[in-house]
Amino acid sequence: MNSPVYLDNAATTPLDERVFDAMLPYLRGARGNPSSLHGAGADAREAIEAARGHVAAMVGASPEEIILTSGGTEADNLALFGLARSAPPDKCHAVVSKVEHAAVREAAKRLEADGFEITWLGVDEYGMVDAREFSASLRDDTAFAAVMWANNEVGTIQPTMELAGICAERSIPFHSDAVQAAGRVGMDVGESLVSTLALSAHKVYGPTGAGALYVREGVEVSPILFGGGQENGLRSGTENVAAIVGFGEAARLAREEMAERAAHEGELRDLIIAGATEVPGVRLNGHPERRLSNNVHLTVDGVEAESLVLMLDALGYAVGKGSACSSSGHKASPVLEAMGQSEAEAFSALRVSTGKENTLEEVEGFLGAFAGCIERLRELSPIQAS
Amino acid sequence: MTDRYNPQVIEHLVRPRNVGEIEDNHGVGESGDSACGDVSRFSVRMEGLRLEEVRYKVYGCAACIAAGSALAEMADGKTIIEAAAITSGDIEDALGGPLSKGKEHALTLVLDSLHKAFEDHWNRDFEALLADGGYLGNGESGKKTVVAAMSGGVDSAVTGLLLREAGYDVVAVTFRLHDGEPGSRSCCSPDTVLFARDTAHRMGLPHFTLNLKELFGTRVMSDFVGSYEAGKTPNPCVSCNAHVKFHAAAFLADRIGYNKVATGHYARVGEGPSLARPEDETKDQTYVLWPMPKELLARTIFPLGDYRKTEVRAIAEGRSLAVATTPESQDICFIPDGNYRKFVGKRIEAKAGEIVDREGNVLAEHSGIANFTVGQRRGIGVSAPTPLYVTDVRPTTNQVVVGRKKELEVFEIGVKDLNWFLDPEESASVQIRYNGEPVECDVSEGDYEDEWVVRFHEPVIGVAPGQSAVFYTDDGERVVGGGVVSRRG
Repeated sequence: MNSPVYLDNAATTPLDERVFDAMLPYLRGARGNPSSLHGAGADAREAIEAARGHVAAMVGASPEEIILTSGGTEADNLALFGLARSAPPDKCHAVVSKVEHAAVREAAKRLEADGFEITWLGVDEYGMVDAREFSASLRDDTAFAAVMWANNEVGTIQPTMELAGICAERSIPFHSDAVQAAGRVGMDVGESLVSTLALSAHKVYGPTGAGALYVREGVEVSPILFGGGQENGLRSGTENVAAIVGFGEAARLAREEMAERAAHEGELRDLIIAGATEVPGVRLNGHPERRLSNNVHLTVDGVEAESLVLMLDALGYAVGKGSACSSSGHKASPVLEAMGQSEAEAFSALRVSTGKENTLEEVEGFLGAFAGCIERLRELSPIQAS
Repeated sequence: MTDRYNPQVIEHLVRPRNVGEIEDNHGVGESGDSACGDVSRFSVRMEGLRLEEVRYKVYGCAACIAAGSALAEMADGKTIIEAAAITSGDIEDALGGPLSKGKEHALTLVLDSLHKAFEDHWNRDFEALLADGGYLGNGESGKKTVVAAMSGGVDSAVTGLLLREAGYDVVAVTFRLHDGEPGSRSCCSPDTVLFARDTAHRMGLPHFTLNLKELFGTRVMSDFVGSYEAGKTPNPCVSCNAHVKFHAAAFLADRIGYNKVATGHYARVGEGPSLARPEDETKDQTYVLWPMPKELLARTIFPLGDYRKTEVRAIAEGRSLAVATTPESQDICFIPDGNYRKFVGKRIEAKAGEIVDREGNVLAEHSGIANFTVGQRRGIGVSAPTPLYVTDVRPTTNQVVVGRKKELEVFEIGVKDLNWFLDPEESASVQIRYNGEPVECDVSEGDYEDEWVVRFHEPVIGVAPGQSAVFYTDDGERVVGGGVVSRRG
């Protein structure tokens, strides 16, 4: 068998060799704690500050606005709990879209259980939030609103500029989970008036275990971790220096190479969409134009996604089930449900996500295997295709 | 976290065996439904008892596809009896070990669809069971083989166990008798079939299911409702034993070349053959077994006849059968909540009528005669200085007759539809109720065709037409015969 073809870049990306090289010195041998006074500690501190600068530059922020975290999930949690806790006591309402990543959704559910009132904002058939509906759901007691920049499952890009602008006008903090979008979509917090922005390293060819929350100057966020007071008191805990350095290098490369990468993975994405939807009973989910450059999300009629994923895996193609994060239980994805799809349709959903390392040959090979597996599974199925 | 599948599962997924559907098949079965995610269909082609070809199709997760493939491969070429013994554990072994948590349903799903194909196979020969003589095998060939009825309860499980330990080749059979209440564990309903199969498989026994819903519906359930409509007090267990259970077990035994049939009834087969009372008099079921055809009784084994119920439970516990602690089964299996008035009420049109005394004086109105049984005291709706009992139910005039307890006393009854195991003259006593005390009597042929007359030596109260009258020998141990009460007085 050939070496596996990796088409699950939305789940995690391969570690860039250049990033790996940048990290190595901080993994090997004597390392200083960034809080230490000695030279080794200062070296580590400087490395972190350099990385912070690259992360900030990726989204057009200044370094002081970047809080380094253990990843996207922590950044989302810090944003939601941090904004909720720092809001005035009479503001205990939030607007959260129904298509958020679990890191936002579950945090919001916890706030709800603790007495916060959440307006769960619906989406259209493409997974898109309506700006007017969003605006109408904001109230005088709204503490914050959260709508992701781009959806991790179906790839739809939200009208973030517009939503953030609406919130800014009413002085309501607006959080955006940009874990999937950052490094793919041009992002400048000087233009998009978001208050907080969650970022992750391992979606942009960096290591796992590093992420960040951008917090606009003047926006109040309470910490959720307490201890040594690192990250300006907002994120206690000894810094994961190597991962942070990796994140910095990954962010630097992402900014430099974004246009090139987006064009490459976008071309492959379009080839997959065109080829896959030629197979009868296969259709694209998410917005046809306003979608992430690497995301293909498909419903395959008459085929159970798990079987298809594992069969493709056995043939050397790694792709994702409808949603990688909720795929352990046999539970329909809330995103597809919010888009009006049935449970049965959700079980037939597949996510194929391209990356900068993928090639045209790989995509062609994948399309052949994809059609072949679907044919096999449909032959195997006792249910007549409708 | 999602566990990684065993390589064997992936191998079966990528190269599934025996995929397809046999057009010219001898049985097809399907389980699951597409709404909940998984569907499995098996079809089989047979040569005699051998599965010449087994094909399957599955829509579902990788575990379902692989389990179906492994099961089809295992069953192919086996006899239907061998294939009926394949367990979930056997499939797991073929797939390299236990499936991860949440995937075990795949085993149940594919196994159930293969078993439904077997069920369909037997069902196609069903006319033979409906016709008289569907049980003509004589049970006299050399090997010790037996088909044991298995409800999944403790009695039937221990029955299977005792027979196996006595050196029999045992095949377990469960009867699909009615659809039951969804989710209920009432005996003979769909969930019970899965449970009974699992119980049989845990004991290493092959298991079959026979779909007797039609037979049970016409011979037992309609008769039950119809009897109430006709003002009679029916006993559905008696009808089932008369027409369904033993015939079906014998039908299967004949098909697979087995000799004996067995159930978990508390009774013994005595000389004659005749029915004899069991060791545990508190569980005695001879009263409901009287209509068994003699030819069938001759090939029947009641292994529990020699045991007390407490011993049976102890055996189940000793062998770690999961069924050891299952509750006692209900009086009427198709009415799990015991509310047979409601059951009957839904199926017949209630017509209001008069409640009268012996002289015909109208005392009140009733809402339908099906709500009344001879001997009943509660719920009559007439106040009187002395307690009133239902003494008669008259379907022709739609009247319910009530009176004092004394008026319930009967000295003579007519009995029809008789089934004799021994010479009628051996009858010394008669029992007219399940768990009732036998009453000394004389039995003679009556003046009317097919009717026998029973004269009690002491008055008996609360005898109702439709009930069974079962005659016992002088020593009280053996059943001479039985019949249905046709008239009182």
